[in-house]
Amino acid sequence: MIVKVLKVTNKLGVHARPAGMIVDITGPAKSDVVIDFEGAKANAKSILNVMMLAIPMGSEVKFEVDGEDEELVVQKLEQLFHDNFNEEAG
Amino acid sequence: MTTSTRKLADLPQENRNLEEKSRIVLVGVPASPGFAMGKVFPVVNREVTVVEETIPESRITTEEQLFLKAVSRTAKEVAQIKEISESRTGLRDSLIFATHLMILQDPGLVNGVLDKIKQERKNARWAMHLVLSEYIDKFEKIDSPAMRDKAADLRDLYNRLMVAMEDSGPALEEVSSSNGVVLVAHELVPSLLMAVKPGQVAAIAMDTGGRTSHVAILARSLQIPAVSGLKNFAGLVKADETIIVDGSGGMVVVNPNEEDIRGFHERQEVFERQRRELYTMRRLEPMTRDGKYITLHANIELPSESEKVTDFGATGIGLYRSEFLFFRKDAPTEEEQRDAYKQILETMAPCPVTIRTLDAGGDKLVSGISASNEANPFMGWRSIRVCLDREDIFCTQLRALLLANTQGNLRILLPMISGLAELRRAKACIARCREELMAEGHECAEVKVGVMIEVPAAVMLVDLLAKEADFFSIGTNDLIQFTLAVDRTNELITDMFQPHHPAVLNMINQTVMAAHREGIPVAVCGEMSADPMSVLLLVGLGIDELSMTPWSVMATKKIIRSINFEDVRETVLNVLQMDDAESVNSYLHKKYAQTIRNLGISSFVGQLDK
Repeated sequence: MIVKVLKVTNKLGVHARPAGMIVDITGPAKSDVVIDFEGAKANAKSILNVMMLAIPMGSEVKFEVDGEDEELVVQKLEQLFHDNFNEEAG
Repeated sequence: MTTSTRKLADLPQENRNLEEKSRIVLVGVPASPGFAMGKVFPVVNREVTVVEETIPESRITTEEQLFLKAVSRTAKEVAQIKEISESRTGLRDSLIFATHLMILQDPGLVNGVLDKIKQERKNARWAMHLVLSEYIDKFEKIDSPAMRDKAADLRDLYNRLMVAMEDSGPALEEVSSSNGVVLVAHELVPSLLMAVKPGQVAAIAMDTGGRTSHVAILARSLQIPAVSGLKNFAGLVKADETIIVDGSGGMVVVNPNEEDIRGFHERQEVFERQRRELYTMRRLEPMTRDGKYITLHANIELPSESEKVTDFGATGIGLYRSEFLFFRKDAPTEEEQRDAYKQILETMAPCPVTIRTLDAGGDKLVSGISASNEANPFMGWRSIRVCLDREDIFCTQLRALLLANTQGNLRILLPMISGLAELRRAKACIARCREELMAEGHECAEVKVGVMIEVPAAVMLVDLLAKEADFFSIGTNDLIQFTLAVDRTNELITDMFQPHHPAVLNMINQTVMAAHREGIPVAVCGEMSADPMSVLLLVGLGIDELSMTPWSVMATKKIIRSINFEDVRETVLNVLQMDDAESVNSYLHKKYAQTIRNLGISSFVGQLDK
């Protein structure tokens, strides 16, 4: 299992579209992915769960990825957060 | 069949059931012009009753299948709407439907329902109801407005899924497209209208909404006649009853008698004839008989409308209200805005396109931006005030505008300017964004910046504004409202909202004189520029450019081609001295009513008073 902490740097935070982009990565992955925001844990393959966390800009989010493709999933997530979900940085 | 005309209130509940085919005439708001007769197709926002059942083991598979089928049917429906909305609106409005699709595949949702069916032995409807209600409830409690809005999306999906499981009632896909139906609804959602195929819907009649509701605007852009604001009409009609919709006059007739049908055919024929005649004029110059040229532009609400504008004979876009891009859940990004603006600018090039910067607030609330509880929203935190306070939003829009201006035909219009400081700050933002973009290596064409004249203070300072603006555009609706101190949404004083009030005409006169002294043009882009009598006055006042809904352009051109500038100029000099709006109106009526009637444009310009 890999545990990775990523920072949300886009201005609008994890709203519907970024949540969709996260699920685009986690959904098809073979690994289990758990998203942890301030102690609230959720299945990161569920767009509803991810949206419900209402993660604002500047937050730190912890991902727990466990499975055969865990490295690839973490790498993709890292890239996505790094690119600010292709949105404007805050 | 009875032939008496009845109003809603005269029709008692019991009688309505007894008289199967009573004729009903109702007047609403003309939302989209044109005439159509067809069969009623009720669009029901069904109230679904969900009953809890505990099912035997033998029914588990059936219920699971029922749910999964509903999910895949709904997904197909949403995907279809998404595709159509992509091609119709030409911007990424369809993102919201992408989220819908993802929610339909959400493991928490799907497995949650399947678990309830299998483990708890609940029927599919009840299981779905429990799971989705819980999600909706949770979203409503989230401390973020944008996320709370998602609860509405979930409710939309809830309804779609329930209907998909219902398996009853005709779906729109089953309507043949050869014989258009008349959609009758209490409220119509834009997504439904976007999913309509050409020819499928002949007309629309709705209980709610006005002329400027999103559905009305879409109907006009799709050229489907529509009447809105019919109050409790939808509950009164039955499927397959015959209905006449007069979208020009704002009237509907259900179960029409022979006389109605004859009248309908006559009016429809006139409408079609006038439309054909006007169409032949679209390449003629909008010039008065004594040779004064008036530029005619179109106002558009959707980027895709720009493709049709020149067909109506407009030579540019006088007003694109950019806030329509913001009527959605999240603010559009720089790229999304750039693409939308670019679509308009490139379609219209080399013709000029005036894009008004975000005019949020007042009666146009934009989620996530507008303040909600203002005592006087029209005089509140709106428009340029919001933009200058939220430079992040403003500069994103300005950058998108400047990047989209590859053809050099963009004109930026600043709304609600009340003094020089606002104009200078906004212009400084534009200059700064332009420098930044050029530093980033983008090419940026020069852009003209205009001031919207709609606050009386701007008229008092108009000489100074004229020295620093490239053009003026008069927003008549707000200028009238603020000059006469008449709230245009207050029904008690609607008769006081007088476009031809001498105070208003003098405001316009001063603006034109100041602009022409500095050699800049003046446009009028409110409702006034499509009213025949107002057109005469505006031309006489020296307005250079009129901008209106696309389908009014041809009729206005016909008016302009029939008058002499010298004559309307003289009229204006007379009415500027008058005491009140009544005197102005009766003078105009006496002098021009017959001329306008003789032009044969009645289907397009509304009825003349008196």
